Order: sequence, then C-alpha cells, then structure tokens
Amino acid sequence: MAKRNKSPDKALTDRTCKQISGLLNDYISNRLNPTVKREFEQHLSICPDCVSFLKTYKKTMAATGSTRVPTLPAKLRKNVLAFLRKKMRQIAVFLLVFADQICR
Amino acid sequence: MMSGSEMSVMKTISGRSPQPLRSQKSPRSIRRLAQGSTKASDQADVIERLKSGDQAALETVFAMYSVKLYNVALRILGDAADTEEVIQDVFWTVYRKAKSFQGNSQLSTWLYRLTVNAALGKIRRRKNNKAVDYEEYLPKFQADGHHAVRPVIDWSDNLDEQYSKYELQELLRKALDELKPLDKSAVVLSDLEGISDKEIADTLGLSVSAVKTRLHRARLFLRGKMAVHLGYSPA
Repeated sequence: MAKRNKSPDKALTDRTCKQISGLLNDYISNRLNPTVKREFEQHLSICPDCVSFLKTYKKTMAATGSTRVPTLPAKLRKNVLAFLRKKMRQIAVFLLVFADQICR
Repeated sequence: MMSGSEMSVMKTISGRSPQPLRSQKSPRSIRRLAQGSTKASDQADVIERLKSGDQAALETVFAMYSVKLYNVALRILGDAADTEEVIQDVFWTVYRKAKSFQGNSQLSTWLYRLTVNAALGKIRRRKNNKAVDYEEYLPKFQADGHHAVRPVIDWSDNLDEQYSKYELQELLRKALDELKPLDKSAVVLSDLEGISDKEIADTLGLSVSAVKTRLHRARLFLRGKMAVHLGYSPA
C-alpha cells in the first residue's frame, strides 16, 4: 500500500491505488502525460500491491490476445468463397438476361 | 465465362464493361495488397475495382481481412455457425455496397464496423441473452482509495505454469462470453486485433472516452475472473 510521505516529493505519491487503477489503460498504451506518468511510476515504486495489479492486468490482456486464431478454417473459407462466387455469377446472369430483354 | 457478344450487351446496358467472373490476371495494386501492402494508393485502387464489380478485388479483400474479421466475429459470437454466416454476409455486403463506401474512414474500419454490427445483430436476436453483473469481479478499494484486500497477489507467472495454452484460452473464451456485447466488441478489437481506441470508437459509434471506459471495466472483469479461477481475490 502506498504511504503518504512528508518529503518534497509528497505530491508525487499522493495518488491512491484506486486512482492508479483508473490510469492503467493509459499507462499501458503510453498515453499518460509526463507528469501523471511520473506520479504513476512513483506510486508503483512504493506500492507492491499496485505492481501486482498492473502485472496481472497486463497478463490478462496478453492472455485475451492469445485466444486469436491464426488462420481461417479451410471449410469456412471454401464455403464463403463458393457463396460469393455463386452470388456474383447470379448477378452477371441477371444483367445478361436484362440486357437481352432491352435489346429485343 | 461470358462470350464476347454477352460482354458487349452488358456494356451497352451498364455503360461499362462487366468484369469477368474470374480475372485472368490481377492488377499490380491487388497483388501488392494481397501480399500485405498498406499503401493508400493500393487501397484506393482496390476500392475502385470493388466499386466496378471486380471479383478479383473482392477476393483480395477477402484474403487480406477474412482472418481478422473471423476472429472478431467468432469471439463476439462464440459460435462457429453464426460466425460463418456473419463472414459470408459481410463480404457479400462489401461487394454490393462498395459504391456507398465514401473513403472517409479506412477500409478496415468499414469492414470491422460491418462485422461487429452483424455479430451484435445476431446476439440481439438470440433469446438466451444473459445480463452479467461485473461488480463481483471488479477490484474493491477502501474509503481512502487503497486496495481493500491485501496483499494483491501477482499470479501473472502462475498462469502459464498452471494451465496449458488450450486451457487458458478456454478460460478466457468463457470469460469473454460473459462480457456485455459492446464491451466484448471493444476488447476483441483492442486486445485481439490491436486496433487503436480511436478506430474502435469509429467502428462502434462511441466516443473515445466511452471506449476507454468500456475497455477498462471489461479488462478488470476478465482479470477478476482469472484471479478467482486461480483461487485469489479479484481485489
């Protein structure tokens, strides 16, 4: 837990764990402004709970990303392409019939 | 294949030559895109070709984006059959409505938007939609803003030791399925596809700050589910 100290750096450690939790997203994506980032990291330097929280939060994001499948199932690919080709063919035939009727 | 006279008839009607069903040779821009080019001029070219009804252009877009869109749809829906329908509908919509694509956003944003909307539409039509309360899995804080349960355990290293990759993925899939559909969409676009908050906001029709809020709560919920599964407090 972060302690509030009386040093000249007091402002840097004024953030609570709850506030730090709310900044995790922006910290991870490196979008905190330099002052807030410094406060964030100062808090981490004295708060092992928030360090653990940050690590498990990041791990969750990475684990979520790992559910991604790298390739399309072959059957799905085949089915979808067959569907698209059939529909495009139908449009072409429709246009031909339509054109034929106009020309007559 | 169409005969020469058939092509000629179609040109008379539509004012442009119909594209053959199977292009014999893809233009360079399409080949470059298929090989992963991100050049704006190549993208603009493939969109123009799509607008003219070029099948090769559609197949290039399919080759480029089908895996991405499949992942998005599958994780939002959690069901293989529904996912196939969504992917099919999305690419058919791309072909039919290419002319309506103004180019104000990236092609990828349009494709993600079509996919997410189709997937969310399917979820809305399901009768067994369950509302999940996140609260139980969110961290708790004392009145002074410090963690309510201490020490907070760092289980990040245990995860890989205790679970095989498959078990971990199953755990995450189940937890993802409990997220609210819009939150799940944001997490999938961000953590699976690595899309920026701004592009997610454009895709979902939300403000960037709303996306950030949804992402954060959803990730806290997922983290809490993982912690509880491992026998720890979500706090």
